[in-house]
Amino acid sequence: MYGRPIHRLLAMLFALSLVAAACGGDDDGDDAEATETEDTTEATEAESEDTSDTTAAGSDEGDAGAVDGEPVAGGTLLIGSTQVPRHLNGTVQSGYATAVPGTQLNASPLLFDENFEPQPYLAESWEIADDGLSVTLNLVEGAVFHDGEPITSEDVAFSIITARDNHPFATMFAPVTGVDTPDPQTAVINLSQPHPAILLAMSPGLLPIIPKHIFDDGQDMKTHPRNSEDFVGSGPFKLVEFNPDSIIRMERFEDFFIPDRPYLDEIIIEITPDPTNIVLGLENGTTDLSASLGGSANILRLQDNPDVVTTADGHEAIGPIQWLEFNVADPVLSSKEVRQAIADAVDRDFLADTIDQGTTFPTPTGIAPASPFHNHDVETDEADLDKAKQLLADAGFADGEIELTIDYIPGTAQSAYAEYVVQALEDIGINTELSVSPDFPTWAERVSGGNYQMTINNVWNWGDPVIGVHRTYLSDNRVGVIWTNNTGYENADVDQILAEAGQEIDADARTKLYADFQDIVAEDVPIHFLTTPPFWQAYGPKVQNPPIGIWGHMAPMHEVWLAQ
Amino acid sequence: MTDVMMPDQQELVPAGRDAWRMFLRNRAAVAGLIMFFGILFMTFFGPMLYDEDPNDIVARPFLEPGTEGAPAMGTDYLGRDVLAGVINGGSTTLTVAAIAAVMIVAIGVTIGALAGFYGGTVDTVLMRFTEFFQVLPALLFAMVVVTLFEPSARTISIAIGLVLWPSLARLTRAEFLRLRNLEFVKAARAIGSTDLRIISRVIFPNALPPLIVSTTLVMGAAILFEAGLAFLGLGDPNTLSWGLMIGLNRGNFLNAWWTVTFPGLAIFITVLSFSLIGDGLQDAFNPKLRGR
Repeated sequence: MYGRPIHRLLAMLFALSLVAAACGGDDDGDDAEATETEDTTEATEAESEDTSDTTAAGSDEGDAGAVDGEPVAGGTLLIGSTQVPRHLNGTVQSGYATAVPGTQLNASPLLFDENFEPQPYLAESWEIADDGLSVTLNLVEGAVFHDGEPITSEDVAFSIITARDNHPFATMFAPVTGVDTPDPQTAVINLSQPHPAILLAMSPGLLPIIPKHIFDDGQDMKTHPRNSEDFVGSGPFKLVEFNPDSIIRMERFEDFFIPDRPYLDEIIIEITPDPTNIVLGLENGTTDLSASLGGSANILRLQDNPDVVTTADGHEAIGPIQWLEFNVADPVLSSKEVRQAIADAVDRDFLADTIDQGTTFPTPTGIAPASPFHNHDVETDEADLDKAKQLLADAGFADGEIELTIDYIPGTAQSAYAEYVVQALEDIGINTELSVSPDFPTWAERVSGGNYQMTINNVWNWGDPVIGVHRTYLSDNRVGVIWTNNTGYENADVDQILAEAGQEIDADARTKLYADFQDIVAEDVPIHFLTTPPFWQAYGPKVQNPPIGIWGHMAPMHEVWLAQ
Repeated sequence: MTDVMMPDQQELVPAGRDAWRMFLRNRAAVAGLIMFFGILFMTFFGPMLYDEDPNDIVARPFLEPGTEGAPAMGTDYLGRDVLAGVINGGSTTLTVAAIAAVMIVAIGVTIGALAGFYGGTVDTVLMRFTEFFQVLPALLFAMVVVTLFEPSARTISIAIGLVLWPSLARLTRAEFLRLRNLEFVKAARAIGSTDLRIISRVIFPNALPPLIVSTTLVMGAAILFEAGLAFLGLGDPNTLSWGLMIGLNRGNFLNAWWTVTFPGLAIFITVLSFSLIGDGLQDAFNPKLRGR
C-alpha cells in the first residue's frame, strides 16, 4: 500500500491549491479593467498613457465624503496605484504613471478648471498675441525649486524646448520656434503658426517646469540620471523616496510658491500590480485614494461600501475611448462595406449597458463626449444584423467566407471586448479568431507594424484634439509607433480639416471643423468607436478636495486635505 | 519465431483477472473510476443533453446561480453560461492531457528503455540529457515554450509533454535495469532475439505496470499544468477549457465565486480520479498483495 496516501494527499493538495489560487487571485489583468497599461506594468510609459480604467460608471458621486469645516493641514495621503513609472520627468515621458507623482513634484505654467479654462499656477497671467503667433507668460515672483534656486523664465524656456524635442506627443509644441526670456519673470513663446492647443499643452501633466541648472548639462534628456535620482522639482511636494516598483514617498515642500499650500504633510504612492490590493486597502482603511481601480467588478463592489466614496467625476481631459480598429490595408478590410457591416454588428450599447453593466458609456466618435469638440450629432448606424449581412453580400462576400483575427492588449479588460466581437461577428457569418500577444510590446509591434486585421484599442484624447486625436488619422503619421495612424487610413479631406483645425483660433470655427471631421470618419469607418470609460476613482471619507478636475490625479494635490 | 513465454514473466505480473479483482477491492480506486467515467460522460454526452453554446452570451454578466434568469452555474463576465462552459471545456482539457501523456510516454519510455537496456555510455549520455530537462523549472520552461509559439492546444500539449517526461524516463530505466539480467531476458537473448524484440516484447511488458501507474498520475499532473498555464494567461483563448475559464475569470473571484469554482471543481474531481485510479492500479499490480 506504499505511497497511496501520499499520492492522494498530493493530488488533493494540487487541486485545492489550484482552486485556492484561482480564488485568491487577482490578476494582472484579465479582469477587466485596465486598458492599455494600467496593469501591464512592463509596458512602456507612452503606453501607459492610454491606461484608463476601462470600466467605470455610475458613481457614488464625488463629494459624498465631504465634511464641513476649514481645511486642516497635516497628515499623510496614501495612494494605491498599479502604475510603475519609468522615471519622473514629464517633459520627456508621457503617461499616467509618471504624471501622477510628476505633477506633485513639478509645477506647470497653468492649471485648468472644470470647463477646460486655464487658471494661474506658475504663470500668474498670460496673453496670446492677436495674430496667434506668440504667447507671453508672466511668472509668479518668489517661486523656487526644491534646491532653493529660483524658478525663472529660463527654466520655462528650457522645459518647453525639451518637451518639444523629446516628448512623445510631438504635436504639443511642434509649432514652437523658440522661447524668448526678456526678464526672469517673462517668457514669450514664439510659434510658426497659430496653435490653439498651446495653453492646454502647458497643463501639469504635459509641461512640468524642470530646473535648467540641473538638466542642461548636455546629457540625453530621456536617460538623464536626474530624471529619477536626487530629483529636484518645482511643485508642492518634494521627493523623499523613489522605488518605482513599490513606493514613491513625497513630503511637503515648505517653500512652495502658493502660501499655506499644500495642506498635506506627505503623499505616499504604494504601487502594486494588483488592483484588488487597492480595493482591499480602501475597504480596510489602509489606502486613502485609488489611482487605478481595475474593472467594473471592483467598482461595483466599492460602490456598495458606505465607507468608500467612488466617483466617475474627473479626468475629463483624458478622454479615453475604447474602439475596434481596422487595418484598412488588409485585403478584406479595405472594403468600406465590410467595415460598415462589422460596425453594424458590434453593438456599442450592448457593450456599455450589458457587458460593462453601465460602467462605461457608448460613444460614436473619436473625440470624447466630455470634450468641447465632441460632435453630438454625428450620424452613426444602430446595430442592425440584417443590414450588416446585406452589406457583406453587396461587397461580394458569401456567408462564412470571411475569416478574420482580432488582437487586444494582453492582460487587460479588452479581452472581454474582443471575445464579444468574435461572438457578434459570428452572427453575420464572419469567423473570427482571437489573436493573442504574450505581452504589451508584442501587441504594440504587431499593430504599429500593420501586422493585424482588427484590434481592440484604448486611446486617450489628452485634452486637445491636436495632442491626442490628430495622431490617429493624419495620413503622414504612419510612423510605426503605437498610437499613431496604425490603421493605414488616408483621407485627404481629413488631413486638410485637421490641419486647419489645429491652427484655428476661433473656438466656434474650430468646433465646426472637428464636427465635419467626425462625420467623415463615421462614414469611412477606419475605426468603430465603442465606449468611453469614465476614469473611476475611489477614496476614503476623510479625503477632502479629492483630485477630480479635468486631469484628475495628473494635477497637483496641493488643495487636498484630510479630515481629522 | 514464436514468443518465448518464461515462467518468470508469469511471476512478475499478476494475471489480468487478478489485477482487476484487486482493483475492484479498492473502494477509493473504484470511486475514482466512477468519477472519471462521470467526467467522460459529461464531456462527450453532456453537450447533447445540455445544448447550450458555451460562447453564447445568454444573460447579464455575473448572474449568481439561483438568481432569477440565471443558468444553473450562473454567468461569467460576458454573460456566458458557466455550466455550458464546464460541460464543453472538459474535452479540451482531457485532450491536452491525453496528447501530453502520449508525448510523455513516447519520450520517457524510449529514452528510459534505451538507457536501461544498453547501459554504459548510452545510459550516461541519455541520463545527462534527462537530467538537463529534469533540473529545468518545469512551469517556467513550459511558459517560455507557450510564449515563444502562440498558445494553442497543440503548443500547450507539447510544452507539457516536454517538461514532464524525465520522471517517466528514469522510472523506465530503473525497470529495465532491474529486468535486463533476469533469466527470461537471457533466454530470449540466447535464442537469438534482436535487441528491439527483447526491449519491446520481452522486457517492456514486464515493466508496464509501474509505467501505467505513473502515466495515470502524469495525466493528472498534465491537467494541472494546462490549468496552471491558462491561469497565468497562457491558455488558448480560442479553445474553451476548464483552465481557460479559471484564467479568464480569476480576477472576478471576489465578486463572482461561481465563475472559477465550478471549473475548478471539475479539474479537482478529474485530477483526483486519476490519482485514485493510479493508486488502485499500483495496488492491483503489486504481486505482494495478491491473494489478500
